[in-house]
This record gives sequence, structure tokens and C-alpha cells, in this order.
Amino acid sequence: MRIALPWPCDARVAAACLAVALSAVALVPTSVAAQVDGEALYVKWCAGCHGEDGTGNGVAANTMLPRPRDFTLALYQVRTTATGELPTDADILKVIDEGMPGTAMPGWVDVLSQEERLALVDHLKTYSRFFQGDAPEPLEFSSATRGTDEAIVSGQEVYQSVECWRCHGQQGRGDGESAPTLEDDAGFPILAADLTENWTFNGGGTVEEIYRVLRTGLDGTPMPTFSDIVDAGVITDEQLWGLAHYVRSLSPEETPEVREVVSAKRITDGTVPETVGDEAWEAVEPIYVPLVGQIVVKPRWFNPRVGGVWVQALHDGQELALLVSWTDPSLSPDPTWADFAQRVIEIMGPGDEGAATAAGAPDQLVVQFPTALSDGMERPYFLQGDPRRPTNTWTWRSDAPDAVESIARGLGTAVPQPDGEQHVTAVVQHAEGEWKVLFRRSLDTGGAEDLVLPVGQAVPMAFQAWDGDNGESGNQGAVSTWYFLFLEQPTPVSVYVAPPIVLVLTLLFGLLAIRQAQWEATGAGARVARLPAFRLTKAVERAFGMGVGLAWLGMAAAAYRSASLGWDAGHSDLGFWWTVIAALMAIAGLSAMIGTFIHTLPRDEGR
Amino acid sequence: MGLLRTPFRQAIAILAVAYALIEFGIPYIPPLFGVASAKIPNTVVLQYLLTVTVGILIWVSDNERRWTEFKKPIHEVLVRPDRKLARGVLLVGVPLLMAFVAYGRALPDMSAPPSFRAIHPAPPSSIPFQGEIIELTGLENPLRSVGSLDEHYEEGKRVYYQNCIACHGDALRGLGHYAPGFNPTPLNFQDVGTIAQLTESFVFWRIAQGGPGLPNEGAPWNSAMPAWENFLTADEIWSVIIFLYEQTGHEPRRWEELEAAEGTEAEGS
Amino acid sequence: MIDRLWKARGVAVITALLLAVGCGGEGGGSDASGGGDSGPAASPVDAATAGHASGMVTFSGMAPANAEIDMSTEDVCAAKHSMTPTQETVVVGDGGGLANVFVYVKEGLESLDFPTPTQAVVLDQDGCEYTPHVLGVQTGQDYTLKNSDGILHNINASPTENRGFNVSQPVVMETNRSFPTAEIMVPLICNVHGWMNAYIGVVDHPYFSVTGPDGSASLQGLPPGDYVVEAWHELYGTLTQNITIVTGETAELSFEFNADMSAAHVPLGDPIDPMHPESHRTVDHQ
Repeated sequence: MRIALPWPCDARVAAACLAVALSAVALVPTSVAAQVDGEALYVKWCAGCHGEDGTGNGVAANTMLPRPRDFTLALYQVRTTATGELPTDADILKVIDEGMPGTAMPGWVDVLSQEERLALVDHLKTYSRFFQGDAPEPLEFSSATRGTDEAIVSGQEVYQSVECWRCHGQQGRGDGESAPTLEDDAGFPILAADLTENWTFNGGGTVEEIYRVLRTGLDGTPMPTFSDIVDAGVITDEQLWGLAHYVRSLSPEETPEVREVVSAKRITDGTVPETVGDEAWEAVEPIYVPLVGQIVVKPRWFNPRVGGVWVQALHDGQELALLVSWTDPSLSPDPTWADFAQRVIEIMGPGDEGAATAAGAPDQLVVQFPTALSDGMERPYFLQGDPRRPTNTWTWRSDAPDAVESIARGLGTAVPQPDGEQHVTAVVQHAEGEWKVLFRRSLDTGGAEDLVLPVGQAVPMAFQAWDGDNGESGNQGAVSTWYFLFLEQPTPVSVYVAPPIVLVLTLLFGLLAIRQAQWEATGAGARVARLPAFRLTKAVERAFGMGVGLAWLGMAAAAYRSASLGWDAGHSDLGFWWTVIAALMAIAGLSAMIGTFIHTLPRDEGR
Repeated sequence: MGLLRTPFRQAIAILAVAYALIEFGIPYIPPLFGVASAKIPNTVVLQYLLTVTVGILIWVSDNERRWTEFKKPIHEVLVRPDRKLARGVLLVGVPLLMAFVAYGRALPDMSAPPSFRAIHPAPPSSIPFQGEIIELTGLENPLRSVGSLDEHYEEGKRVYYQNCIACHGDALRGLGHYAPGFNPTPLNFQDVGTIAQLTESFVFWRIAQGGPGLPNEGAPWNSAMPAWENFLTADEIWSVIIFLYEQTGHEPRRWEELEAAEGTEAEGS
Repeated sequence: MIDRLWKARGVAVITALLLAVGCGGEGGGSDASGGGDSGPAASPVDAATAGHASGMVTFSGMAPANAEIDMSTEDVCAAKHSMTPTQETVVVGDGGGLANVFVYVKEGLESLDFPTPTQAVVLDQDGCEYTPHVLGVQTGQDYTLKNSDGILHNINASPTENRGFNVSQPVVMETNRSFPTAEIMVPLICNVHGWMNAYIGVVDHPYFSVTGPDGSASLQGLPPGDYVVEAWHELYGTLTQNITIVTGETAELSFEFNADMSAAHVPLGDPIDPMHPESHRTVDHQ
């Protein structure tokens, strides 16, 4: 039997050829992978945190909590396998690709190639002999149930009955009574996850990821598996899905976007709310302001507890009410958290001079404004100002009765204003692992060093927060850069006047165009339209064409300027696209000029 | 292809395809080939579409017959009795749209004031550093002429991982876990527009004096970059600079190149 | 053969009973003959030629006081204790015996293969305490994690030779697990109740014993030969002793721990003792 081949060959030879060809193809990926040196990649990109020996003791490790993973223990949080089992290769790759939310581990999918990341997976497995055995079997997960209200309610019941609240607290803010004693397997203090911030969940924040964590546990941490109780019939798989839906429902539907401006609506019927529980707040959208560790001046703090604050504002033309809410499991200093705070202080680097050595500090919040608005963009330094440009800080502490208004010329230099010049009041509430602090102040206090809060203009505003029971005090806390507070005006008249005018004008223009067209199409119009077209002289045509070309070139120059601004601002993507625009415009301009030139050349009118 | 027979429909189709390509093609097609990409800003999309529209207009008006044909459907909507419905819809819809745009324009602007700043402001010719004056002009990295590069790299790596990764990130892309908390965001060293454009002396100045050492046009009040002269020795700074260039594979600009290039204000870009 | 096996088992059962009486049932004694219940597979040991080892583990000097446990937030557990509960770190009996010491044959049995017992041993969580505090199992042998309290406990094991696990038990329930590899010792903690901890000794033969407050340890039915026996304590580390087993005779075991040994290295996956955070290896991280 012969089969059609471009060269003479019988079936057996053909099969052999095919086999050789196929195996060559099959070999390609492995040989590519083999060319990538996983160890060299590890040393270059991973060892700084995870250590060259894979023990998680890289040079950066003591600025991180949770610490970098110790690969020699082969304990992996993110798995699709049962507790105590090794992760699959795909599990390890997922963490390398996407990173660990809520930790210092970034995703590498955009940085390293697929081959490189696979080589890293292979390399990580060399750190533990456990990986020499059989490949682990992933668990079989059922598909997600629908997140109906009933599912969420049943999940809430499970949350109570399997006692998630012992660590995570009744409202999920990581304030359960066991929370202060938690440690990971290496003995480092670890916080119970704040279930109201799903973007910080180590195992991921989607319903499916939450369910997976419930099934597998987070090995190496206090988070156990709940697979056993499903197997034992204590709860059903559907109830476990309900629990996942319930946990997901504790966080906002979307991860909060960082927005620069906190807008304060104007209350027209009455005065600003005087309590944190006032129902007026329910209608005010909270704006999330992310905070990060203060690592700019000594002593630095790499382990801030407060990852962000939610800000709401209202004003009534006379007074501003600013409500700041954030997760904090304890009212510091809380004796049950004293050991936790002390341990954090002891293990956190980098040990700058002046770093705290003893726990027991209160919680604190600072809202900061410039003492005066400048005409230009100039502002005080974002960390409580500088000697030339001071800030007006409103400080609230959990161990003091009221807020204190101070003048600061740099972090930690705040000097309280005299008693007669204290105009800020604070009303606070700590419940279910959450602080709510309501500041109120007159827009214009009359104080010489107080900023007059203007209506209708964005005012720079920044935040700092401390959790004493996380070992924070002094310069060691969480900070934000400048944001803005905008006190809304009563809606200007133009908002209601301009649209009708525009509407009427456009309508008139449309009617006119239709009338004109219809007139041209019939009777007299048609006759006019048949008249020979009005012709420009060549000279005018040329001038017009050249003018258009020049205009295009001008626009190209403007686009190029935008491009170089983009490059300068470090936005190379913006720079690139503006460069492309500039090039296109330049081409259009040149084409217009060349085209005009050719078309307006004097030539025979023979055609 | 009957649908695309008239120039008017062709023009609409080109516009639609161009929009799809600009809005979705640019962010999603290059990744299929392993090239990183991202959505482009709306203002840029608008610019592109304007350019395409002008191109289309040039094309349809290039030839008299096509131009007439192009105008035909528009004209028909305006005049033909059987197009009364379309005419009516446009007559109501367009003014409403314009009114809506006008309403959006009239609303008070609650955005933050614009913030312009020069990312690479012109450096001073000399700076004070830990009580001494350092001449920046013509200064090259002194560590490149002593000891082994590997050792400097290792030392720089230690300094970087202990001090810099929280903001500038493990991959040196300015995407550390603290980056989302800062505005302006930390510098991306992998970008060809940053350290690859600078001399090592410029980088030394930026590290040593940080945000507070910026001139006013650099908005020193916003930058969270610490003044590292308070934390690091000169050698530590020079070694972390070596680390930055080695790890990214970029080459610093040399003073000889700058002199050779004559236009010595290149430092500012 | 079968007969001999039954005889060996009888000896084991009697010994266990005696020990249990000796310990006053104080959760100690444990399974003195370890996996004496050898199930269907045959033991490689000829009981007719076997000898025994037994003796005392004692403590000299002042025993440190065990930390008290505050169970006031846990009514269910507090109700199960008539006196203030304490840690079981150093439990010394009236006669100077040191409890919770794991005594096992460390060397000398390498050439023998022992069958895996089919009977599971029980580690109970009762009154927010692990009972027993120290448990011995054979490799592959099931042990039952039992929650008698009906409130949430989690059992978080961190071995180094075996794979760890972390399971939750929010109600009265049982979970069976086993370790495939010999390991001295596997620490277990409950993260919900930071004071709860236990240790499991995993060996690949049935010759191990956990002391009660009387300090007695007994290894029954060993084939004749030379052995190294080790005694392990969670705070004081290990002591070893060489013994020679002669058919039909009982070799004497004698281990003496003292308070000065507390600085000794604890050969473990670093025990996590929430009441003594300073003993954590975290201190010398970095």
C-alpha cells in the first residue's frame, strides 16, 4: 500500500517519519524549558526575599510580615489539594503568576516568560524532598452555587455554627477573641484575615477562591480546612458554598478605586450630623484612601495595620463633618493584644534608631490640611508639612477625650494650638473591629493659623493612622499622600439654563438644514443646484490646501509635545501613543501639502 | 458585501472597525503574541478617531462621484418623504444629546487641581551630601573602577531589597506593594524613559536627596522618595545604582556621550 | 506461631492494665505496648525468645510551675475543670517520676519490619486540653482526633518528616489521620485555644511508651540484642541509654532529667508554645 507523500515512501516508512517528526515536535518545549536556568532566575529575582537557600530568610525578610515563604518546608497556602498535601505545579505557577494579595509577593506573569516561570516552579520543588514522591492529586471542587440572598443567609448561619467568628470576629474584621494569639507555623504573629477587604485575601477574593480556601485551608497558617466537616456530614457542600458567598458579601462588590477627591455634599435643610450613626451618612458614598507604612523618615515602619480608611464628608455652609472609618480589631492598648504587639515590635526590622521597643500605645488618626492655600500648586510636604509650609493637623487618640488641633512642620513636630484656638471636635465609636471617628469644625474658625475651608475648591488633605496593638507609635504608622476635599456648592444656575438653550439651538439648526435640503431638492432649489459649481481659482485652492497642511503640521507638533511630556512623566505608553499620533498628523499634513501642490499644477484642461 | 456597497456605509464601517481596533485591539491583541499592552486613554482614543474621520472625509471627497454618492443617504434622510421617521428621530435625538453634553459641561468641576511636575528636573551641578559637597558634573560611579562588579551588585541588591522594594518592587517596575498608596507612583526603572536616559550622577542625586531635594517644579511636597543620605552611605548608594543598571540591563548615560552629543542640556529630558 | 502471638498480646494487655492502674488513669500511661495489637499481619518477633525493658524516668531538682490557663472565655471547657487548669509542660509525680516522656527504641530494630496496627489510638480534645498530652503511634497507624467539647477546635500539626495538616472540628466529631514516616516528635496545636498543645511520637515499631506521673516506662517483647533507647521530653530534650535484651529477662531503664536541662535543644520541628514566646526560633531569624 502506498499513500500519497511528496517523496516515494511506503506506509511503514511514512509512519516512522511521522513518529520522528512528532517526537521532534514533542521535544521542542522540553528543550526550551531546559534552556532556562531556574536556579539563576531564582537567585536574580526571588532570593532577595526568599533567600538563596529557599528558607524565606532573604535580606528583605525582616521588613515583611507575613514573612516570605520558606520553600524547604513545602508548606503552601494556595493549593487545590487537601490539607497536608503538596501543591500541584499549576498551584505554584498560579502564585508566581498572580502573586499573593495582601502580601509583598508580586505577580510575575508580565515580567517573566512562561518557560521562565515554569522553570521557577521546578526549581522551587528542589528545596524539599517531599516533591520527589508522586504528584499530588487536586481535590474535586463542585461548581459554584448561585449567590442568592438565601445562599448568603445560609452561609451566615454556617459562619456562626462552625464558629468562624472565633478568629475573624462577628463582622469579619479579624477581631475574634482568638485573634490576638494567632501565629503561623514558623511562630510569627499573624492576623486573622479582615473579611471586609477581599482584595487582601492571601488565597484570592472571588467566591470560587474563598470556597477553595475553605476546602483546602491555608497550610502553614491557623486557617484550617473545612473539607472534613463536609465529608463527615456536619454541613453540606452547598452550605460551604453559602459560607463562601457570605464571606464574599462582607466586602464591597468592587475593589475600591483610588480617587483623589472626597466630595462633601451641602446639606440645605439643617446642620451636619453630630453622631457616627446618623442616617445622613448612609446616603454619602465612602471614598477609600489607601495607607502604606511610613518608610520615609526614621524610624520607619514596614508593617502598617491600617491598609486604608473610608472617608465621608458633609457640610452645611457653616460647618464640616468628616467621618473616617477603618478596620482595627482592638481598642488599643488592649491587654489581650499586648503580647501580639510586643512580638511584632521585636521581629519587625529594619531597626532604625528611635524605633519603638515597648507596646502599649493608643490608636491614632491624623487628618491634615495646609494652614493656607497657595495660588500655585505648591503645598506643604505630605508628611505633616515642612518648616516653610506648615500643616494644620487634627489628631485623635484612643486614650484622649477629644481631638487636638496642632500646627506641624514635619512628621512628629506637631505643636497643639492654644486652648482658645481648639475648634475641632471628635465623636468616636469602636465596635466589631471598626473605628469610626467623626471630626467637626467650622469652615471658618477665625483662627489665624486655621485654614478657611473654601466652598467650591479642592483642598489638599492627607491621613495618617496608627494601631497601637500592632506595635505602632511615633513615626511608625500608616500614611497617605495628598488627597483633596471638595466642599460642594449649591448647584449653579447654569446647570439648568445651558442645556435648554443648547437644545433649542440644535433643534433650530436641524430644522433649518432639513428645510434647506428640501428646498434645494424641489422647484427653485433644484434649478439653483444645477447651476455650474462655483469654482475657486487655482491660487486660492493652493493657498487653502497649503493652509490645511500647515494646520496638520501644527497639530502634529502639539501632539509631539504631548508625547514628550508623557515620556517625561514616566508614562511611556502615553508617550508612545502620542508619538504615533504626531507621526500620523505629520503624514497627513505633508500629504495635504504635496497633494495640493500636484493638483494645482498648471496643466492642460484637455480632459 | 452588498451591505458595504455605498461609500456612506463603507465610511461607517471603517470608523467602526477603527474604533474596535483602537479600543479593544490595542490592549488585547498584542498579549496574544506575548507582547504586553494596555488600554489607551480616552483622550487618545478620541484623537485617533478624529484622525480616522478626517482621513475618511479626504477619501470620500477625493472623487466627485464618490462624494455625491456619499452625501446621498444623508441627503435622502433630509428630504425623502419615506424617511420621515428617521428624520424625526434625528431631530429629537441630536438636540437631546447636545443638551446632555451641555449639562455635563455645566456641572461644577469637582476634580483635583491639575498637577504638573517635571520628572527629571535639571540637576544642580553640586550637592551637599552628609556634610560634604559633591560635584555632580562629570561625576561617574566611583565603584566601577574599584573592586569587583559582582560584589558591588550583591551589596546593591542587599540595599535595594532592604530599602526599595516596598515601593519600586521586586521587578523594578515601580509596582511594589506600597505603590498603590502613592501619588505620584514610584519610578519604573525598567522603562526606557527613566534610568536608561540618565547619568549615574543624576541617579545619585535623586537617591541621596529624594523628594525633599527636588526643585519646586518637581513638586517636592508630593514625592514619597526619602532622602537616602539619612539612611545610606555614599558607597551603598553607588552600589544600589550598579544594581539598578545590572538588574534591568540598562546602560547609564556617560558624560563623554553627553559632551559628544554637544546639546548638553540633555540631562533635563 | 499464632499461640505465641496471643501470648505476647496477653502480656501487653496485662502490662497496659497495670500501668493504667499505676497512673491512676491520669491520661498518661498511653498505649504502653504501642501497637501490641498487631492485627492480621504477623510480627517478625518470636515472643518465646523475647525479653523486656522497663524502669523509671525521674526528675531531680525544682520543677518549674506550669503556667495557668485562663479559660474564662470558654464556659464549656471551664466547667470541665474543678481547679484552675494549667499547662502540662513539666508534670512531676509524688515519687519524682516525670510524666509525658516519650521512651522508645531509637536504634537496634532497623532490620525488622513490623505490621501496622489496625486499631486506632485516640487523641481527645476534652475541656480544651489534649488527652493524652503525649501520644505514641506506629507509622501508618491511624489515630483518631476526637472533639469531645463540641466547640470549635482546629488541629494544626507541624511535622518536618511528614506532611503537616490543619483541620477544623466545630462540633463533637472524630477525624482519623496517620503519619507514614517515623518522626520524633510531631507538635500539634489548636490555634483557637492558643494554650492547647500535644505531641505525637511516630516510630516504625511497637516499642515505645509514654510515662505517667509515676515515671514508669516499659518496652515489652523485644528480640534479644543491643539497643539504644531514647527518652524525649518537650522542655528538657532527650536522654539516651544503651541496653542489652536477653531472652526472658527484663533490662532496666533509668533516665534522670533535671531543671538545668531546660536550655537544651529540643529536637523537634520547634515546638510552638504560646506561653513561652521567647523560646521560638523566630528570635534568631535574621
